[in-house]
Amino acid sequence: MKADKEKRRMISRDAARRRRRVESEVFAELSRLLPLQQSVQDHLDKPSVIRLTLSYIRMHTLLKGITGKKAEASHAVKCEQVMESGEEWRGCDRGRDDEEKKTDDVEASEETNMFLRILEGFLIVLSTEGDMIYLSDNVSKYMGLTQTELMGHNIFEFTHPCDHEEIRNNLRLTAEVWCGAKRDFVMRIKGALTHRGRSSNLKSATWKVLHCQGRAKVCVAPSSVSCLLLTCQPLPLSHTLLSTHTFTSQHSMDMRFTYCDQRITLLLGYSTEELLGRSIYDLCHTLDTNCLTKNHLNLCLKSQSVSGQYRMLVRGGGYVWVESHSAVIPSVRPSKSRPGAHQPLCILCVTYVLSGVEEPSLQLSLDQTVHRYLR
Amino acid sequence: MSAGGSDGTADRPADLAADGECPEQAGSSLPAAELPRKRKGDVEERSGTHGQQSVDFQMDDDLSRSEGEDQQVKMKCFREPHRQIEKRRRDKMNTLIDELAAMIPACQPMARKLDKLTVLRKAVQHLKALKVGTGSAFTDTTSKPSILSHDDLKHLLLRAVDGFLLVVSCDRAKILFISESVSKILNLSRLELTGQSLFDFIHPKDINKVKEQLSSSEYPRQCLIDAATGVQVQVDAPARPPLLSTGARRSFFCRLKHSRVVGKQDKHFLPCTSKKKDSSRYCTLHCTGYMRSCPSSQLDSECDGEMESSDLSCLVTVCRLLTPVSHQPPKELTIRPSEFVTRWAIDGKFTFVEQQATTIIGYLPQEVLGTSCYEYFHQDDLLHLADKHRQVLRSKEKIETRCYKFKTKYGSYVSLQSQWFSFTNPWTKEVEFIVSSNQVISRGPGHTKDEEAGNSKALQEDTKQIPIIPGLSSGLGTMIYAGSIGTQIANELMDSYSRMNSSPSSGACSPFGPAQEKCPVVSPLTSTSASSREEASGSSSQSQCDSRTAAGASSATSESLAAVSRININPIQGETSQLDLDLVPGLSSFSSDEAAMAVIMSLLETDVNMGQSGDFEDLHWPF
Repeated sequence: MKADKEKRRMISRDAARRRRRVESEVFAELSRLLPLQQSVQDHLDKPSVIRLTLSYIRMHTLLKGITGKKAEASHAVKCEQVMESGEEWRGCDRGRDDEEKKTDDVEASEETNMFLRILEGFLIVLSTEGDMIYLSDNVSKYMGLTQTELMGHNIFEFTHPCDHEEIRNNLRLTAEVWCGAKRDFVMRIKGALTHRGRSSNLKSATWKVLHCQGRAKVCVAPSSVSCLLLTCQPLPLSHTLLSTHTFTSQHSMDMRFTYCDQRITLLLGYSTEELLGRSIYDLCHTLDTNCLTKNHLNLCLKSQSVSGQYRMLVRGGGYVWVESHSAVIPSVRPSKSRPGAHQPLCILCVTYVLSGVEEPSLQLSLDQTVHRYLR
Repeated sequence: MSAGGSDGTADRPADLAADGECPEQAGSSLPAAELPRKRKGDVEERSGTHGQQSVDFQMDDDLSRSEGEDQQVKMKCFREPHRQIEKRRRDKMNTLIDELAAMIPACQPMARKLDKLTVLRKAVQHLKALKVGTGSAFTDTTSKPSILSHDDLKHLLLRAVDGFLLVVSCDRAKILFISESVSKILNLSRLELTGQSLFDFIHPKDINKVKEQLSSSEYPRQCLIDAATGVQVQVDAPARPPLLSTGARRSFFCRLKHSRVVGKQDKHFLPCTSKKKDSSRYCTLHCTGYMRSCPSSQLDSECDGEMESSDLSCLVTVCRLLTPVSHQPPKELTIRPSEFVTRWAIDGKFTFVEQQATTIIGYLPQEVLGTSCYEYFHQDDLLHLADKHRQVLRSKEKIETRCYKFKTKYGSYVSLQSQWFSFTNPWTKEVEFIVSSNQVISRGPGHTKDEEAGNSKALQEDTKQIPIIPGLSSGLGTMIYAGSIGTQIANELMDSYSRMNSSPSSGACSPFGPAQEKCPVVSPLTSTSASSREEASGSSSQSQCDSRTAAGASSATSESLAAVSRININPIQGETSQLDLDLVPGLSSFSSDEAAMAVIMSLLETDVNMGQSGDFEDLHWPF
């Protein structure tokens, strides 16, 4: 009896081992098919293999929907243009040889790499549920986590819980999506980078503020897939102020000016003294208060923000279009006796002036009328 | 499926064996036994066995590790959370497999849920098929393999970013390279832009700005924020030799010409020196990039042959189109509806009204303070709101009302829904005030003055339909009557404080019975009030009131009058009344004696509140 049991035990163990082996083999085969580097392939665990396979298939389906039509369209345009300029064209057929495809590919790769490098951000494709279907491989530079570690996971696992609602709102398919609605928002994501830029692990992750811009994409055929294409740039804390068309300003947390550099006088006509203590909301076009409010909220919650374009009123009449990049920083107050003391925060804004003075005779606030009459 | 099949036949004995042997393995009986139970509902046994497999696998490992050691207890403690981890891992794996099956076309038509191995095999087949389709990206072994082909990535980037790559030389702003995507944004082809001077396409006012950016001779001012201390540092960075990868960064906005029509730009493209006013359209772009030195060998052939200097610096930028993104929350979302907070005394008189309320109800806070909220409630809602009022005074919780109509200054109604919450003085244990948080459900049919006429007309028509206030302008009559409701309810509460036992008839009863009953209730009230007003001295009115109490219906009125009088004269004390009418709750507590006085007081009160002498001409005096 016992021998029988022993025998059965052995059979079951063997069977189990066989099953496991078969399974591992299939997994290995699958991972080899994934377009990844050999070193990466060998170290993937089973759930990751499935995740990446899923992502790959999804991306493929998506791209068929996106590029299928576009490739045809652009090709047609190319043909036309070339013909117009009178160059020789071998024929508008789609049978291009491999050599050409290769050079095109290399060109494309250089271009995209450069693009991403200059943009200082990475590309992310999100499904409507928030799954990160695809991330460009430079994501490791900004987040410390590699493409293969992140692909297939859900973005909600990596972002700040307070931002989840905003992200969900952006993922939501609205009627405008069909017309290619744009998205522009700021969110906080876990960054596993040390101060010096080395990758650390997720447990010691800090929040990184990302500015995400992109658009929603809906593909109807072959299968209805919709996703959000975004480029995410970590908001920089340094700005090169070369131009005379930018000025910096410091504000208290309620957006009242505490300091403003002199360039504003040239651009908007205000002297720096008269701005101190005034709220930025007073100086802007009322229709843009939503924009300013959103910016202010982002600053309070996420500590960094990019406003959209809004209008600042020029002293005496009219307005200019501006865009501000702001961050919350501890205000400069050296306190060596109490280094750990809580320093009051202030907002630092770098404002770029985009346009000239528009409608200089238009009075949009009482202030402007006063100045006009006093001139 | 062959593998699965063979596994299947092997499974049976294996299963039994596993089941059989499991109890012998210390501590492993539970998980092994759990699995089959859990998977009872499943059609496939195989995945169950697979799952079991993994558990066995783990268990085997555990056992082999701790075999020989008498640590059964320790193992059990170890296994508890371990089981949970295992379970989670299994569930995750199963979810992933399911998702994979959903994505693979070959797996979809299957009615039965497929087992793990089959799904994986199908996935392998699918990937192989995809590879064949895409071609170059994978056959090219020299280039780094990536999930997406570069072309695809390029397309994606294009979709995400409305932008193009631009390389301009610094000395003359000659466009050295521009990516194809420019055609999508500026409607100008790549071919005609390359080699041109950038200044030809920039808005005249931005030319100086761009010139500044291109000049690398100046020391760029940098506004840096030291991440560690947050100290703002203004640095005049020395002109570093521009390296290929780390040049000085540039970021600016400029306006570039764009053509409306694709392909026909030649006609629209006017040089800046043309006498005709340049009517081209511009779009604003955000250009970010850095300075880079390009040895002349790298430049395109279009480059000027004379340029022999070894280092030509150029600006490499990405230009993104700025399109304003609406900062309004999309309409489909549930935006927090317009809200305002008010506070009232226990009798419903406003003691605080938030500033924001004006945008919704039209009245300024000061116009409304001191008036009873019942004056603004629509008649149809008075019933339910009075009920809720009563409730909130007695409950410690937030009472939510249904949607009701609130009259705005202009005569129209706005639909609100409120949460009421009573605040009790912790020492006196009495309700001090009620806080009302009101949300607008939907705007009424406009509350601008233009529609006021229309609305009031509609209201008048409505009132004509309602037989309860024949000939009365809805405003006044209901106000007088309505105002008292609050006071009645408050008084009830006062009674309950003072008496703590007999509470007047409440709950089910409502101040307003069916419409037909309202008629006798209301008009005699107003008539009595009118009459009592006429007889300001008031003594004789008492008898008149008494005479009216004889009539069954009108007794209710006098009761209500009495109630009113109760409040005004003796706000604290209350008496049980002889007549018990359901129409107006709380009335029973008052005698009809001071009806006249009450009426006078209420009239005077409403006069004060409304700031106008009551126009009683319209009132219909039935007597």
